[in-house]
Amino acid sequence: MSMEYSKEKKVGEGTYAVVYLGTQHATSKRIAVKEIKTSEFKDGLDMSAIREVKYLQELIHPNVISLIDIFMAYDNLNLVLEFLPSDLEVVIKDSSVIFNAADIKSWMLMTLRGIHHVHRNFILHRDLKPNNLLISPDGIIKLADFGLARAVPGPREILTSNVVTRWYRAPELLFGAKHYTYAVDIWSVGVIFAELMLRIPYLPGKDDVDQMEVTFRALGTPTDREWPDVSTFPTYNKLQVYPPPSRDELRKRFIAATENALDFMCGMLEMNPTKRWNAIECLQSDYFKELPPPSDPADIKIFHD
Amino acid sequence: MSPPFESQLCLSRPYLTKNQITYTQRNTINDRRTYNQKKLSILNFLSELCLKLELPRKTLETSMYFYQRYHLFNNFETELCYTIATSCLILSCKQVETFKKVNDIATLSLQIRNMIKISTDTLDSLKKMLYQIEIRILEACNFDYRINNNVHIDEYIVKIGKILKFDYNVCELAWLIAYDVLKLDVILMVPPPTIAMATLKLADALCDQRNWLPGSYDVLGAQKDLVDDIFFHIINFYINAFDLCDLKYHIPPDIVPISVERFMEIKSKMGPEVTMPDLTDGDIKFDYFLEKSRDFTTQERRYILSNEVMKEEDNALKNI
Repeated sequence: MSMEYSKEKKVGEGTYAVVYLGTQHATSKRIAVKEIKTSEFKDGLDMSAIREVKYLQELIHPNVISLIDIFMAYDNLNLVLEFLPSDLEVVIKDSSVIFNAADIKSWMLMTLRGIHHVHRNFILHRDLKPNNLLISPDGIIKLADFGLARAVPGPREILTSNVVTRWYRAPELLFGAKHYTYAVDIWSVGVIFAELMLRIPYLPGKDDVDQMEVTFRALGTPTDREWPDVSTFPTYNKLQVYPPPSRDELRKRFIAATENALDFMCGMLEMNPTKRWNAIECLQSDYFKELPPPSDPADIKIFHD
Repeated sequence: MSPPFESQLCLSRPYLTKNQITYTQRNTINDRRTYNQKKLSILNFLSELCLKLELPRKTLETSMYFYQRYHLFNNFETELCYTIATSCLILSCKQVETFKKVNDIATLSLQIRNMIKISTDTLDSLKKMLYQIEIRILEACNFDYRINNNVHIDEYIVKIGKILKFDYNVCELAWLIAYDVLKLDVILMVPPPTIAMATLKLADALCDQRNWLPGSYDVLGAQKDLVDDIFFHIINFYINAFDLCDLKYHIPPDIVPISVERFMEIKSKMGPEVTMPDLTDGDIKFDYFLEKSRDFTTQERRYILSNEVMKEEDNALKNI
């Protein structure tokens, strides 16, 4: 048999892998090949690579990146992934791309459908950010980078709170919680939604301490009244107490947002993780039922001719 | 003209029949007796490692699956088996999210093997080997992470035991039997829930509770013949190799004494032995996947999970 895949252009390099653009010869389809650096880690095959394969093998959904193939070539492990030429971070930063409320709604809908599928398979993504929401040539959003994902733990299992890129980190993680739920992913989506409306990062902390300051200044410091026992987190006493923003304050911050869009955002950015909306509540929110309807992904002009 | 580029396509088959396993092991295991003896030592070795590293049963179970699976497609060599087992444990720690530092596992592995003074060079060369073996184990498993992922024997004993309202003692006994099961080929043959059911059925019989009813198979929609086949595999192990079992040293105080005779008595009461239909050597001979030991020199080795992809590739080749 002849070689099935070719790697043509290096498009990125991370800590544990190099990504190439390539072609699947049998179909002439464009693909992405993630070559795992197998020998360069002090703990052998990196956990991120294992998690990526493990969860992508389970998750088959139009809004989750497809793992097409796995192959060993010259003793290197390669993951063949679907080719996705852009991502939401690129779109947000590209000032030549103009998008509207219906486009944002379409992206949120696709993102939440993907997350709902991940969560109903008992998996936490733990690294949602615009950069990990890739876009296919026909405008479909796909969740990618499952290197930090993990299965929902048993009640006695202790988790690390050092997950999720800082700006998208939920308050329970900022407090160092050792037990957390799907709610950490929903918080990230809430921050992404705000960022799409503002076109700048909503909660850009400079470091972990500043992230708490930025988050609570923008959204209010949680108290025991709305989040029982939050004050028992060790870092709680060092916090400056800010009041939550009024509805008017939020309307001023997000000028173009409708009341339903603000409710939708507030549901996802609820401080208390047990009160935060889940993926189903988000998908059933009035925001998706009101006008304008979500754009057809293929009609959103994000690629330059 | 340059030589043609070689590519190999492997379809994942996480579980094999008894004959398939025996046939495959002919390519990789010259001395079955030594292999079986070593397997018992390896379980003790891995159990000690898990105990010292405070790792749960699921990590041990996954590493034993990896160890046995590795030897289906890679030659068994007595000198290397502890290193392979250590690599299996490292990988299973990653697989079941009970992560430990490789340095700690490797050092402990050498210490258990009575190496007192461990130099940095010794440790580094061991780690290098462990990483190379890690990839080979994954290749032996076809990179199929769907197995040993969220489903483990001990957890299913608890779940099924609760559904069937079995006594604590019965579940505890099943859990102890499940430890002995890690020594057997059955972990390569059926998924953990089937094994959990077979151990519960045996524990129920040993405790003379008679709570295992024909309807008990319906929990999780298990196939009756498959559970019974595994049940007889396990009971035959106790009858034929009672001296090798760990159960006899750990029988809970509230349970009646267990002996070979007791297993023979249970077996005779269960009626004719149930065995699942198996493939003949003639059938297996035509199976490229099992017929030869795995060739790791092929330049490109592709691992797939779906039969559909296999068919597509086959059709594509016919159209060339």
